[in-house]
Amino acid sequence: MTRRVRIGSGSAYWGDMFEPAVALAERGDVSYIGFDFLAELTMSIFQRAKAKDPEKGYIPDLLTLLRLILPAAREHGVKLILNGGAANPAAAGRAVAALAAELGYKGLRVGTVSGDDILGQLDDLATSGWVFENLDTGERGLDSVRGDVVAAHAYIGSEGIVGALADGADIVITGRVADSALYVAPLMHEFGWTFEDPDWDRIGAAITLGHLVECAECVTGGMSNVWDLARCPWDIGFPILDVTDASDGVSAVLEKTPGSGGIVNQWTVKEHLLYETHDPASYLMPDGIGDFTTLQIEELGDDRVRLTGMSGRARPETLKAQIGYRDGWIGEGQVVFSWPDAPGKARRGMEFLQHRFAQAGIDPLALEMRFLGVDALHGDVAPPMPTDPDELCLRVAARTRTREEADVVRREVTHLWTVGGLGTAFGTPSPPRPVIGLWPTLVPRAAVNVSWNVEEVR
Amino acid sequence: MELLADIAYGRSGDKGDVCNIGIMAKRPDLYPRVLQCVTPDSVRRHLAGLVTGDITVYRLDNIEAVNVVMRGALGGGATRTTRFDQTGKAMGTALLRMPIGELS
Repeated sequence: MTRRVRIGSGSAYWGDMFEPAVALAERGDVSYIGFDFLAELTMSIFQRAKAKDPEKGYIPDLLTLLRLILPAAREHGVKLILNGGAANPAAAGRAVAALAAELGYKGLRVGTVSGDDILGQLDDLATSGWVFENLDTGERGLDSVRGDVVAAHAYIGSEGIVGALADGADIVITGRVADSALYVAPLMHEFGWTFEDPDWDRIGAAITLGHLVECAECVTGGMSNVWDLARCPWDIGFPILDVTDASDGVSAVLEKTPGSGGIVNQWTVKEHLLYETHDPASYLMPDGIGDFTTLQIEELGDDRVRLTGMSGRARPETLKAQIGYRDGWIGEGQVVFSWPDAPGKARRGMEFLQHRFAQAGIDPLALEMRFLGVDALHGDVAPPMPTDPDELCLRVAARTRTREEADVVRREVTHLWTVGGLGTAFGTPSPPRPVIGLWPTLVPRAAVNVSWNVEEVR
Repeated sequence: MELLADIAYGRSGDKGDVCNIGIMAKRPDLYPRVLQCVTPDSVRRHLAGLVTGDITVYRLDNIEAVNVVMRGALGGGATRTTRFDQTGKAMGTALLRMPIGELS
């Protein structure tokens, strides 16, 4: 039996645009919209917010977005799956239920998924002999950072969302699920797939499709090699997957909200297929392994692309986890040098800073001095500085052990405003910011207990 | 001077201190040249100073593309790097500047 479902993607990050998501609900003819709000750093930020207030720790944008999108979502029967619960899905669920009650949506079913927060299990796991090997550095054992750990979250899969959908949830709020799981879950639910009797090619296809849309506008002309061809990017359309599950496997058409701006073609799909990935034959996710090397892409025109041939393999027995720990501070500043001889003034300015840092006894762990507009992005790969620029913006950033050292860096850059050469201008200095180091690692799947809860708005 | 940007598109992103760059041949007939030009050695030479760790280049014959995966590529990763481009969004355009005249 051939089945179809249409799923939209409504957010790529915390701070993304709201209007294209609302347009998806209004005009996208979709049954589900997934929303990603979480970056690697986000969980640590919100774990600290939750430590200060047990009713916080979720993405505040969640409520702003839902207030805007719920009318269209209810009118068109669109279910919303959002990882904006961040470090506190339960509190997010309570806040969303209160908002829904305020808006008069009695009977709306709000689901929450938890189990990704493994901060409380770290020491037991370590005692049992688990070594938390750092996937970036190879370091084994958390001993060097354990006292500074502020957050630990496993990337969980789709099972909690599938459970909540099966229990009738209209909105599902999660913490750190894998981004692709926001899209794998509705496909599993709609097509009746299970992990008890898994078809790994189908699940691998779902993972591939989820990956393609999980960053919303990044597959419809945002951040694109063909950005110049994207129509009206100020009206950009978010992506829609029109997925078919047939006897010979899963295929899909990737498109975007009708009448929206942006562009979908082979390049927007290819550039996103590889975005933030490693081995393309083994895209490791908690729900399975996607193999991107079998995907076939066919342009259909009118911002539609057909996707076929997707495959996958069995899910790993470990889950990726991200452990965040306090790791010093960054002090930063900018100053703009004017013609005449902006490069000469800039060189003396950098010399000034080196002397002042030494006089203050500062020994940064890392120090960066680059010129915005010249080599701040490409470093030594950038072409040489123009011979007589009218202005040069020096950006200075230093990572230090203490807040006090970071503040010295910030202060000394501001001193160039008055002690620097003629015509030196400045922007607003930013205060020192705390650094969260990230310790990417694996944890046993069996140690992570995913659960869900669905409650009706009264 | 012929650059990688003349024969390929590219886009980069981050995971921790790993940066990857998808490089896509602009036409199927240019894919063999992309494979010739984009190797761990050529990338290491071109991005010296930005990348300190291992570099792996994966092929995707199905879409005439390669994925360049670079470790130790972001000055410690987005949350602790002092670089302006914290998430390596411009690493791809840095690689697209690579001269390819002598590589293929």
